[in-house]
Amino acid sequence: MRFGGTTALAGVDLTVARGERVAVVGASGAGKSTLLGVLDGTVTPSAGKVLVHGTDPGSVRGRELRRLRGRTGTVRQHLELPGQLRVVHNVNAGRLGSWSVSRAAWSLLRPQGTAEVAAALHRLGLADRMYERTDRLSGGQRQRVAVARLLVQRPELVLADEPASALDPALADTVLAVLGELAAERGGALVACLHDPALALRHSDRVVGLDSGRVVLDAAAGSLTVAELERFYGVAR
Amino acid sequence: MTTVLDRAVPPAARLARDRRRWAWGLTAVVLTAAALAGAGLFSGSVLNPGGSAQFGRFATAALRPELDPGFLSVVAGSALVTVAYAVLGGGLALVLGAVGAALVSRRTWGRRRSGWLAARGLLAVPRGLHEAVWGLLLVNVLGLDPWVGVLAIAVPYGAVTATVFADLLDEVPGGGYEALRAAGAGRGTAALYGLLPSAAGGLLSYSFYRLECAVRSAVVLGLIGAGGLGYQLALSFTSLRWEQVWTTVYALGLLCLLADVGGRAVRRRVAAPPSPGPGRDPVLTTAVGIVVALVAWSLWFLALSPAALVSARAREQLSYVASAAWPPSTQRSLLADVAATAVDTLAMSVVAVVVATAGALLLAGLAARSPGAGPVRRAGGALVRLVLLLLRAVPPPVWALVLLFVLLPGVLPGALALGVYTLGVLGRLVGEAVEEADRRPREALRAAGASAAGAWLYGAVPALTGPVLALALHRWEVAIRDTVLVGLLGAGGIGVLLSARISAFDWPAVATVLGAIVVLSFAVDVVAERARAALR
Amino acid sequence: MSTAPAARSGGPGNELVPLLPRISRRTLLAGTGAAVVAALAGCGGSSSAGPDPARQLRIGAIPDQDPEVLQRLHATVADSLADALGIPVEYRPVTDYAAAVSLFRTGDLDLVWFGGLTGVQARLQTPGAVPVAQRDIDADFHSVFVVNSSTGVTPADDLRPLADLRFTYGSQTSTSGRLMPAYFLREAGVDPEGFPGGPGFSGSHDSTLALVASGTYQAGAVNEQVWLARSAAGEVDPAVVAYARTPGYHDYHWLLGPRAAERLGGPDRLTAHFTGLSPDRPADAIVLDLFGAGAFIPTEAANYRRIEEIGRDLGLVS
Repeated sequence: MRFGGTTALAGVDLTVARGERVAVVGASGAGKSTLLGVLDGTVTPSAGKVLVHGTDPGSVRGRELRRLRGRTGTVRQHLELPGQLRVVHNVNAGRLGSWSVSRAAWSLLRPQGTAEVAAALHRLGLADRMYERTDRLSGGQRQRVAVARLLVQRPELVLADEPASALDPALADTVLAVLGELAAERGGALVACLHDPALALRHSDRVVGLDSGRVVLDAAAGSLTVAELERFYGVAR
Repeated sequence: MTTVLDRAVPPAARLARDRRRWAWGLTAVVLTAAALAGAGLFSGSVLNPGGSAQFGRFATAALRPELDPGFLSVVAGSALVTVAYAVLGGGLALVLGAVGAALVSRRTWGRRRSGWLAARGLLAVPRGLHEAVWGLLLVNVLGLDPWVGVLAIAVPYGAVTATVFADLLDEVPGGGYEALRAAGAGRGTAALYGLLPSAAGGLLSYSFYRLECAVRSAVVLGLIGAGGLGYQLALSFTSLRWEQVWTTVYALGLLCLLADVGGRAVRRRVAAPPSPGPGRDPVLTTAVGIVVALVAWSLWFLALSPAALVSARAREQLSYVASAAWPPSTQRSLLADVAATAVDTLAMSVVAVVVATAGALLLAGLAARSPGAGPVRRAGGALVRLVLLLLRAVPPPVWALVLLFVLLPGVLPGALALGVYTLGVLGRLVGEAVEEADRRPREALRAAGASAAGAWLYGAVPALTGPVLALALHRWEVAIRDTVLVGLLGAGGIGVLLSARISAFDWPAVATVLGAIVVLSFAVDVVAERARAALR
Repeated sequence: MSTAPAARSGGPGNELVPLLPRISRRTLLAGTGAAVVAALAGCGGSSSAGPDPARQLRIGAIPDQDPEVLQRLHATVADSLADALGIPVEYRPVTDYAAAVSLFRTGDLDLVWFGGLTGVQARLQTPGAVPVAQRDIDADFHSVFVVNSSTGVTPADDLRPLADLRFTYGSQTSTSGRLMPAYFLREAGVDPEGFPGGPGFSGSHDSTLALVASGTYQAGAVNEQVWLARSAAGEVDPAVVAYARTPGYHDYHWLLGPRAAERLGGPDRLTAHFTGLSPDRPADAIVLDLFGAGAFIPTEAANYRRIEEIGRDLGLVS
């Protein structure tokens, strides 16, 4: 596909099955974020065909499209959490697909479903930050708030763009484990862009390597070693 | 197994409300309720359905404005006068503002807070009075000289601009400035190299915004006799020739639109400059060139002579007015009237701002240009922007009369007139804030299945609340001054008192009322500033 | 318009200011007026263009006529005066009387067509000012109280039924729209400020008629000349009916400023000019017609003594 005047992805033919955990690796600008955008519907491919949950997102509209989109959850690289909101609201934003507008509005005044939010934050070590303003949190803490949002959204397809970039190694493992479990709970899949080869191998079943918008590697995680992957990064750089 | 990072059972987090914000919120609710009650909204009928025919005459005339070639040429000529006053008044205000900014910047005063407060308080006098009031005072000193119109805009605008410029400069991180000072640079040089470059964008944007406001003010001055479109409007309005009124309003709308488009182009350029080349940015250079040319043309057109300002006659008239007005009246009955009408004015300004803010919030989403919108959405947006433009192109006194046709007399018609006019201004400002807001949180929520409204609530509103409330609070202070405009017509507020005392040439009483207006708008300014601080 | 100041300006050229108010609209602030008008715009630094201001006569007038008609007024009245006096006469449109009072005081206007009350105000602020002439109808001028027919109030001489109605005056300093109606109301035992919700100030006679037609105000007071003209033209909403006519009083007149009076050797030449206008001469007839007058007659300060007293009582003259 062409994107923004330059070709971001080309000739990508990829199928992700239920239950799979896929790590997408590649240098910056290789097309990783575009691939995730195509999957969650924020990027419309200029050519080719995309089926998400077996449906072409371009073929449905309105409520049906919203339902389809609600089945996919994304942790974005830039997080995109309004800093003025309290953590609880930013987590609850994951439920907007199923909430009515009036309930969503009321929740801003009296937070709804706090038990689930608390549980999600608890899993990520942020339980005491529930009512903090999001912009008072560190980068790593915000990253985990974005993950907590997915926990209450409960999507089948979990997409994550560098979800552990601002975390120390222990927390990074936790977050990826949580994401993997989240996908497994609904019998779905996890697709994560990662730049740390060891982390990628520890938390995926399959590794897809991108270079200049093309798939240059697609192999089971078990068949790869950290050294091989590092070389891949080295080549790409 | 579920991954849990917390080992111990966490202490339940408690929702702690920000007390300061809640106190401000509560105050706002109480103030609004009191203002609405004061406007008579809860005590019987306020509508006068019998006047719908008169209102209809005004409204339908919008569709058939006077297009007689003779009248159109008059309007075109008047538009030139309005432009000349706006350019010179606005331009002089920017010069005064730049000088004044140095006086009221926190950097100038450093730790000497009392000095800073005094300087700031000094500006309360020029900015506390409406342009129309300045026009009235100046005509008594300068007579028919065109300086009246220019100064009536430049004096209050200069004071406001000084405050805004100072705030913009104070917000620039001081590192560069301090470093230059430490290296031995003088204050001026350090500001030139250490502060101005960072603040230039904001300063330029604001300058263009001020020029657009000056067009509207020039029309208000025309209403009180300073010529131009406002003068034509006053003539047509006096005899209720609505077709002519609309033609003039459309002409004014066109001028505002031109200023707006120019300002927008400059703002956009400043916000996102093209890839840096060796030369100057052609768009900005052209814009500045046009403004300079306009100033030169206006000087020639109005034939301003600095000598008129210091002429013996001006001094003589100044001393006449000053000695007539001093000492200000302290009559008990007058003070009682001042207090009562000040309360009305406060109620009017609150109703106006609440109406305008609510309307602006409802319309802002539509008024904002959104990239990638469909043709229907685009057309709708253009229509909303056009309506907002007309709301602010019709001067408040006209709104007051036509609303008085369908509302019973009291504070409400005046308050709503101001509200409608303020909605025109605020709707545009809020729309711009929406355009400038980060769209990505909204899009992310949409991608996760949120409805448009839900994504708006969680993705856009949080980031917009602060700026929008700040804008509304700023307009509140402006509305206090604007109440003077609708004071006539029994539309209530301290403007009625001012107009009555001026009619009687009761200068001591005029001085007292003007003092009260300055104090009132200064007080509102202080309260609004506190509220803004609590919102940050 | 006898003078041709800087052609460049948005000046008072006819082409720019064809319309004048029928009646002063005290749009906002009475007094403000800043009749700075387009005119000035142009002539801008008045010293820099046109003939020597000391030699010329600057007149201002806000007659009760249609704006369309008034375009001709500048030229006609100014030319007629210039011919008679042999000096340049410049017409300066003014939007409102209170502004005219200030400009008369500052010497920017030499000869102004004032209402009864504004004439008194101008004379008190400008020592040496002298009344020059009035119209035949001004010696016995009247106001009309109008009511909205839905009030069920029927025409009568008794003004007391008006006390319970929402009532609007015209402009604050209008003699026929405010001062005299208030005076006659008080004479009849009605508090002129005591109407339900306080009296309104519509700003102009036309606005008064529209507001009474709408029912926002149930009653109001207007200048009889305007009432008759609008009625004759069929422009009055049928919902508005005349309730009562006030007794007569002195109203509009030409007032001459002290400096001009000195230059012209007193008001006599002007008085003679105005009183000499004859409906039989076509040029004169136009001027008379524009002012809605059969003829101009002499007047004197004493004619306005009662207005001054009433103005003081009502707090409009200080």
